[in-house]
Amino acid sequence: MTDISEKPESQLWGREGFREDPYITVETLEEAGDAPAVILPLAVWLGLDEGVRNATNRRIGVSIAPGESIDPLLPLLGSIPVIALQFPAFNDGRSYSKAEVLKDRHQFQGELRAVGDVLIDQVAYMLRTGFDTLKVTHAVTLTRLADHNLHDTPVYYQPGRGSHTKAGTYSWRRVPDTQ
Amino acid sequence: MYRYDEFDHAFVSARVEQFKDQVERRLAGELTEDQFRPLRLMNGVYLQLHAYMLRVAIPYGTLSARQMRKLAHIARTYDRGYGHFTTRQNLQYNWPALKDMPKVLDELAEVEMHALQTSGNCIRNVTADHFAGAAADEVADPRPYAEILRQWSSMHPEFSYLPRKFKIAVTGAERDRAAIQVHDIGLHLKRNEAGEIGFAVYVGGGQGRTPMVAKKIRDFLPVEDLLTYTTAIMRVYNLNGRRDNKYKARIKILVHETGTEELTRQVETEWLALKNSDLKLPQTDVDAIDSYFRPPHLPLRPEGWSALAGARKADHAFAAWVDQNVTPHKNPDYGVVTISLKPIGGIPGDATDAQMDLVADIAEQFSQDEIRVSHEQNLILPHVAIADLRIVYDLLLTDGLATANAGLITDIIACPGLDYCALATARSIPVAQRISERFADPARQADIGELKLKISGCINACGHHHVGHIGILGVEKKGEELYQISLGGSGDEVCTIGDITGRGFSSEEIVDAIETIVDRYLEVRTDKEETFLAAYRRLGAAPFKDALYSEAANAA
Repeated sequence: MTDISEKPESQLWGREGFREDPYITVETLEEAGDAPAVILPLAVWLGLDEGVRNATNRRIGVSIAPGESIDPLLPLLGSIPVIALQFPAFNDGRSYSKAEVLKDRHQFQGELRAVGDVLIDQVAYMLRTGFDTLKVTHAVTLTRLADHNLHDTPVYYQPGRGSHTKAGTYSWRRVPDTQ
Repeated sequence: MYRYDEFDHAFVSARVEQFKDQVERRLAGELTEDQFRPLRLMNGVYLQLHAYMLRVAIPYGTLSARQMRKLAHIARTYDRGYGHFTTRQNLQYNWPALKDMPKVLDELAEVEMHALQTSGNCIRNVTADHFAGAAADEVADPRPYAEILRQWSSMHPEFSYLPRKFKIAVTGAERDRAAIQVHDIGLHLKRNEAGEIGFAVYVGGGQGRTPMVAKKIRDFLPVEDLLTYTTAIMRVYNLNGRRDNKYKARIKILVHETGTEELTRQVETEWLALKNSDLKLPQTDVDAIDSYFRPPHLPLRPEGWSALAGARKADHAFAAWVDQNVTPHKNPDYGVVTISLKPIGGIPGDATDAQMDLVADIAEQFSQDEIRVSHEQNLILPHVAIADLRIVYDLLLTDGLATANAGLITDIIACPGLDYCALATARSIPVAQRISERFADPARQADIGELKLKISGCINACGHHHVGHIGILGVEKKGEELYQISLGGSGDEVCTIGDITGRGFSSEEIVDAIETIVDRYLEVRTDKEETFLAAYRRLGAAPFKDALYSEAANAA
């Protein structure tokens, strides 16, 4: 078993594997200095000047807590490079529904990211509800992801991202695109 | 009956393999109990007072003889020779060893069964009328829709981490035998004026510490919208249900705090966006699932009626059993048989391996290979020819399965209580046993008539005491077990939550108290036609309270 007493550095993971994270997460823009890519809390992001939000020399994303509504973002989705939905605890499932609404209904084109208590058992669900990337700290999860062991099922009973319909079976069923 | 296809097999065996790996890691000490907990719960494995408990899903309570034999085999091989049928149409094994769990799941998978989603904050096993497909009063069979919901809700990526557990029940008759109004979602299958099939949709019912009757949020939902509309409800709940307090996290609290009108508006708004999504059901899929539940071919057996008349005359006990435990079938030559798992003084819902095997044999020979589990913790043989009732009765009699008490006072629902359950605050089973013994006399039971008595060993209300005509709730007070009585509850189509009578009774007093209530009912009813519930609704609590507390005062 991986020793979890030493907390590993969090890493960014997507379907293609681990990747560099260009973003830093800060409470205010001032705190970010001249960092080229930052993620701000929702309230701070909403308070920004439109000019600052859309500035071409830096990317500014937004982080959303489970209790916060995504509604104020909906008219502005085109200008957001990344939305980080928080999972303060693995069993708080609100962000799954927000992911569905953002990606499926509003066709959010930017990066949708899961941050917080991201565990291996949730990874497949996160990908299927529309998350592009996961910010992972949990040691066992990091090991499993490195081994490409996603703890997934070979078939799904619902539509979702990364899957397709299969001829000859019921309309709600899907198989993963990897098959 | 629904049969697994390749898709279902691939899904279930993948889940069993994953769980095997997790159990091995737990046994090797690589996972702590804390880390293992959420994983085992996904597979229906609880840690109870004395041992691990495995809860096996029986979708909408329907079983074949082969599946029942497997349940018997597992009870014999991995447990102590019995299993416990629950109020959610499931089966619980109380004593399996953790090391055997993967083998048990393998064995279940062989007969197309599993223990998925029998725990955790997800959509649980979908329940249905236990007389589905057989009852004379049915509009349509609810099981195809329960099966569609079962599939769609299996490992749902968006709805596996809900604020709290979520229970859906479906019924297909005006007479509600599935208690849909005390479920998170209740679906009542009906026909509209144009003769089309659809659902009345109820939301926010439940028992537990805050019992509530569900609110109807839609009078008629077309079948094609079943999954889109359910998704809309689930999404509104997942986003807005309370997560700050476990006891306020069920959808009933959200409905209550939001208001039915506003909640309905939110659901309808969400639904408008989902209505034409991929989840809109094509009629071809509904038909394909429906074809698994086609009524069996039942040969004409008109000779049964004269044989029955003769057999009844010859044997009073048999006649009583037919009167009490056989319900009209769609086909007049047939009946629906309730096998009581409530022998006098027995443990409600328990069946031994030999009893399960016997029921399987009878079902195979005399009931089109079908068995049902009722939420009242009995077993049902849905398609028995009137001509075969005598032989079925004689066979049931050989192993204590012919108790003629369906719907009577000794047909008690009871949760496992403090004898097994880690949450319980008082014992339920011994109270059920003593009440059953007190009212053992068949003539007395028949005179009392329909009376649903339900016992829970804690506030979580697994024994459905809130909807018992007489409900008993066991609590712990100053180290003693104390039993509160509620009266006038009902889980059927006229759903009501029972009223608490007043101060509770000790374990020694409780059986006398129940008898006092029953005796008062016998005094005040207009005639034998007026059931306990009808008398209570007419008279209110006063005469019963009076009997309970003034007599107690006199005695003291």
